[in-house]
Amino acid sequence: MVRAVKGTLVECDPSIKSIIINIDNETNEYIVEDLDETHLMIKDNMVAKLKTELEQRLKENVPDVEDESDSDQDVK
Amino acid sequence: VIDQIRLWQLDTERISTRDGYLFKDFDEYKEYKAVADFADNIGVCAWRNDKKGIFFATKIEQIKDFMKSQKKAN
Repeated sequence: MVRAVKGTLVECDPSIKSIIINIDNETNEYIVEDLDETHLMIKDNMVAKLKTELEQRLKENVPDVEDESDSDQDVK
Repeated sequence: VIDQIRLWQLDTERISTRDGYLFKDFDEYKEYKAVADFADNIGVCAWRNDKKGIFFATKIEQIKDFMKSQKKAN
């Protein structure tokens, strides 16, 4: 039988998607279904919380990545 | 530092979210195809995967009506 599951479709880069999956792994309270490389379906009442959580992760992660690319350029 | 802040902003804006319904567990591919094509045609299909036979629609009312009319026809 066909089912229609209510939720929110999230479209993002694969890098962002992997962060969302990491966030979900801790509590399993966001993701309803992993659709493809750039799409996820999440619970519609968790969107705001996920965005806040994601912003926090990006603030933590981005400077590290930048440092690495800087040091690469300096060495070579 | 300003560049980094811009990067963070870009990253968070790169997420687009749309509310709706995921249609799944169709009995036949034919049925999936008909409903997903209908959703596409009326512009409510936001994502689809023909291999898995699932699609995401931003509105459900017209699709429900369409599926009812399909059942009557069969």
